[in-house]
Amino acid sequence: MNEESKTILLVEDNDDDVALTLRAFKRSHLMNPVTVVRDGVEALDFLFSRGAYEDRGAAQPTLVILDLKLPKLDGLGVLKAMRADTRTALLPTVILTSSREEQDVIAGYSLGANSYVRKPVDFAEFLEAVKILGIYWLALNQVAPPQ
Amino acid sequence: MKISSKATFAATLMLGTMMLIAASIGWADAQVRAAAAQRRHSVEIASALNNMRMVTFEYLLNRRDRARLQEQMVWERLERLFASPVTLDGAAARMLASLRAQGEASHRLFSEVEAATGTGTADEVQRRFEVQLSSRILILQQNSLVQAEQLIHDAGARIDEAQHRVVLVTGLGLVVMAALTSATAWFFRRDVLGPIARLELATREVAAGNWSFELDVGSSDELGDMARHFDAMTRALRDSFSRLQASNRDLLGLNKELESFSYSVSHDLRSPLRSMDGFSLALLEDYGDRLDDDARDSLQRIRAASQRMGRLIDELLGLARVTRAELRIQDVDLSAMAEEIFSTLARSEPERRVRWEVEKGILVRGDRELTAIALQNLLANAWKFTSKVEKAVIRVGTRVDDGERVCFVSDNGAGFDMAYASRLFGAFQRLHHERDFPGTGVGLATVQRVMHRHGWSLGAHAALGQGATFYFRPTEKVDERREQDHPAG
Repeated sequence: MNEESKTILLVEDNDDDVALTLRAFKRSHLMNPVTVVRDGVEALDFLFSRGAYEDRGAAQPTLVILDLKLPKLDGLGVLKAMRADTRTALLPTVILTSSREEQDVIAGYSLGANSYVRKPVDFAEFLEAVKILGIYWLALNQVAPPQ
Repeated sequence: MKISSKATFAATLMLGTMMLIAASIGWADAQVRAAAAQRRHSVEIASALNNMRMVTFEYLLNRRDRARLQEQMVWERLERLFASPVTLDGAAARMLASLRAQGEASHRLFSEVEAATGTGTADEVQRRFEVQLSSRILILQQNSLVQAEQLIHDAGARIDEAQHRVVLVTGLGLVVMAALTSATAWFFRRDVLGPIARLELATREVAAGNWSFELDVGSSDELGDMARHFDAMTRALRDSFSRLQASNRDLLGLNKELESFSYSVSHDLRSPLRSMDGFSLALLEDYGDRLDDDARDSLQRIRAASQRMGRLIDELLGLARVTRAELRIQDVDLSAMAEEIFSTLARSEPERRVRWEVEKGILVRGDRELTAIALQNLLANAWKFTSKVEKAVIRVGTRVDDGERVCFVSDNGAGFDMAYASRLFGAFQRLHHERDFPGTGVGLATVQRVMHRHGWSLGAHAALGQGATFYFRPTEKVDERREQDHPAG
């Protein structure tokens, strides 16, 4: 598996947050390709290669960064559908959201999230968080072999 | 009919029966007395008649003057007896009248014999006439004696009869009294004891929470009234209980609404702040060298304000969480907790030199998490407000106040003017300028909420420039109901 194929799927509906996250990636020197989808349904379409993504092939991203508050299907719904399908059941998924509500954290982990990170208001802190995330999930972490 | 009316009726009936019995006994006693008097009278008459016969005999045999005088005396006695007022029944009166007539006749005949004797002419005709007279006298007297005996016997029979009547009346009265007593007992059982037992059952049912229990007593007496009042009371209780349940449901709904509100606050309000901070930083990083100092300062201010608002939102959410959190009461070691918080504070500001003194072994019954939040806020406040003091000292301890144990956190920091103490525990209320001591003004409001949730009272004492002391009274027993208190905050 070469470095180029280690793609990131960013599920985020807020343009500002997309821009800031991409900026954080860049500033953390994470050069992995990033696919951005804008809602829960689109995220599942991408992951299961259907609808607009019918022709993209079967390759799965190395990391899914998932916001919780999304149009159509929310982040927890996406996670539930992912964990129910063998193609995405073991895919590393990090919840990156502005919510710190206890019930969201509990629900996220119960549904099989690998990490739960809260977006801080301070961009410097956010940058730090994204850097650590990238190092851990894209460099250190050994992913499960494809089934 | 009312129970009181029934009781009055029964008592009247009983009293009436008793009076009737007493009257009957009295009347029968009078009868006995009258009969006894009649008997005594008859006996005296019989004895007089007997005497009369004896003296008449004696006179007829010997014609002595003494006997004649005696006959006169006995006759006078008889006349007195006949004239004496004795109450008699019809038959006895007739018999007495006949006795009197016979007596008078015999006395008249005796006078005739006496007159004939007085003439002294003793011829055959005269003698036969005297014998005839004597015989008639003796027959009359014999008759009278027999009648007098009959009178005595009749009086005795009358006494017996009256006595028998007394026994009969008394017995009958006792039977009536017994019947009345039984009837009263039966009525008491049916109308008083029965309904009271049902009432007792109803109070037990309602006390056990069975609000739908209805007595439904139809009687119109006092106990019926009481049962109806009881039913009305149960209905009122049921109504207010269901109203309470309804408002509880409303509160639950409000609580849910608040939860979703705080969810959006945490999610949606923070998002623009992130953009403001992030893009300001991007500007600074990418174009910082082309901006002058004023522009860079403005961007820094935008960032600082965004971050400050982020903190405010977080603290508000924390305050809401303190209000909503479920209490899990357990033993909490305040001393250990305080030591831990002090260590963290010291690590976060290693350049500060603060002396802290924590009394050993302060145990309270409370929710560990909420107590930690309150203590954290109190100690962080003390830490902050002693930052401008040369030798900062913070104490955590207990003392006894009015017989109750009071925990306190005291410092020798900036303190505050007690004139503003009423604003101390309100959210976003600050007694110092932001530039002197930074803060959002939510800390003490949070402490106050925690204390309120536990039912502990919180107070403060301070003077400007002389430090502040916060004290609270951790009651041993936490009222669990307080968990439902103010669920909407």
